[in-house]
Amino acid sequence: MSALLMEGVTFTYPGAGAPALRDCSFSAANGEVTWLTGALGAGTSTALLVAAGLAPRHTGGERSGQVRALGTDPAEGAAGLGGRVALVLSSPGAQLSGIAETVAQEVAFAPANLGWPATRIHAAVSHALDRMGVAHLAPRGPATLSGGELQRVVIASMLVLEPDLWLLDEPTSALDTTGRSLLHALLRSEAARGAAVVIASEDADGLHPAADRVLVFRQGRPVVEGAPDEVLRGDAIWAAGAGSTTVAALGRASGVASPRPLTVSEGVRRWAR
Amino acid sequence: MTARPATLASRAHPFTPLVLTLCIAITALAAAGPLEAGVLYAVTVALAVISGVGRAALRALVPLAPLWFFLFLLHGVMGESPRIDVAGLALSEAGISLALAQAARLGAIATASLALSASFSPARFIDAAAERRWSFAASYLVVATLLALPRFRARAAAILDAQRSRGLRLRGGPLHRLRAIRPVTFPLLLGALAEVDERGFALETRCAAGVTARTPLAPPVDRPADRVVRWLAIGGAVCAMAWRVAG
Repeated sequence: MSALLMEGVTFTYPGAGAPALRDCSFSAANGEVTWLTGALGAGTSTALLVAAGLAPRHTGGERSGQVRALGTDPAEGAAGLGGRVALVLSSPGAQLSGIAETVAQEVAFAPANLGWPATRIHAAVSHALDRMGVAHLAPRGPATLSGGELQRVVIASMLVLEPDLWLLDEPTSALDTTGRSLLHALLRSEAARGAAVVIASEDADGLHPAADRVLVFRQGRPVVEGAPDEVLRGDAIWAAGAGSTTVAALGRASGVASPRPLTVSEGVRRWAR
Repeated sequence: MTARPATLASRAHPFTPLVLTLCIAITALAAAGPLEAGVLYAVTVALAVISGVGRAALRALVPLAPLWFFLFLLHGVMGESPRIDVAGLALSEAGISLALAQAARLGAIATASLALSASFSPARFIDAAAERRWSFAASYLVVATLLALPRFRARAAAILDAQRSRGLRLRGGPLHRLRAIRPVTFPLLLGALAEVDERGFALETRCAAGVTARTPLAPPVDRPADRVVRWLAIGGAVCAMAWRVAG
């Protein structure tokens, strides 16, 4: 079942000469991690904003085509569909409530807005902080955190809701290697729980083992689609202006024909022949 | 935001300092002469000290000092006759009285506002408002208003640091300093506008749109003493207004 469905969606920001999404169609199924990638300005972040309903409701602009997030048009319903849709932005600082004095209060912000009972909130906050490895930060002020800590806290503040649809825009931008591994494991476990996970990222090294499907965007729509293991080895992803893993990029620069190795161990095996 | 030290003001119900500040402002506007305004200013400073936020009275002097000087010039020096001799200066008698009254009014309002800002906890206020079934939009508006100044100040400091790291020099003559205003002020204003937009975006992603019944996470206790202080303040403000209207 598709938790997110876009059919023929075109979206233009106010004052922009060209649309950011052009006749964009794709879907994301429950239980799957769908990875959106592409060159700068390819439209992956905009696709997430449209899926969350923030574009055009908050950004302004014009949208045409059909969008269904958990069965409803997100542009018409309330943001986040009562906590069932989680949007994680690339700048964690921009997603803070601005009123929380501690990390625990920050994570509790959305459940409190939804009117959950206090006992349920406290238990869910502890669980979410624990899963993101930041339980020790609970009494700290959000303004005192590092970029990586803040990104984990913002993800925890969405995780606490146990959403059915995850929309993540470059969620590893401030994370270290440990944080990225933790997030990828979390996304897999959320998909295993039955949630649909859509992630826009250029982190090919980290995401290729975590994603079930990759969509390569170019000029506002997906032009290549498939299993990451196949797409990242080939030439089509490069032709679309996106990039693959570091090892695949090294192979391509060295003149290695596709299918190229994706990891160091694969590269060693291939080049040791 | 960092944890504040526990003071009488920070332990009080969040509505109490807010009501006190509003009532002090109303009473200050109603105070007719320098004596009434002076007494109010003294009471305000005393309340700030007792509440554990006495530093607010000192911090208020920074914006107040140039204002007081300007009032002295405008009313005391340039005011109407008759004139009196004060330390060898021929000053306007009525002007000095007016300047003192206005200076004390401004002092009371500035001290009360900074004391409120120093003790204000947005999370406790939101919890208190949620407990009273205020709409989230209304309580957030109060919080955003009260946090606007400290946020603006923090942003100004960050921009100043950023511009200094890019070579902006703030030392030198007045012309040099004047030139430095633009690269600090423009990003400050544009940043403030962008933050409003950003904050709205953030709140939407955090289920803050259309909140019907927010759960108070740790509702602050509204003690009888809090209620007595609030009613006394409201009563005082009403009496001051009535006195002004009648007098």
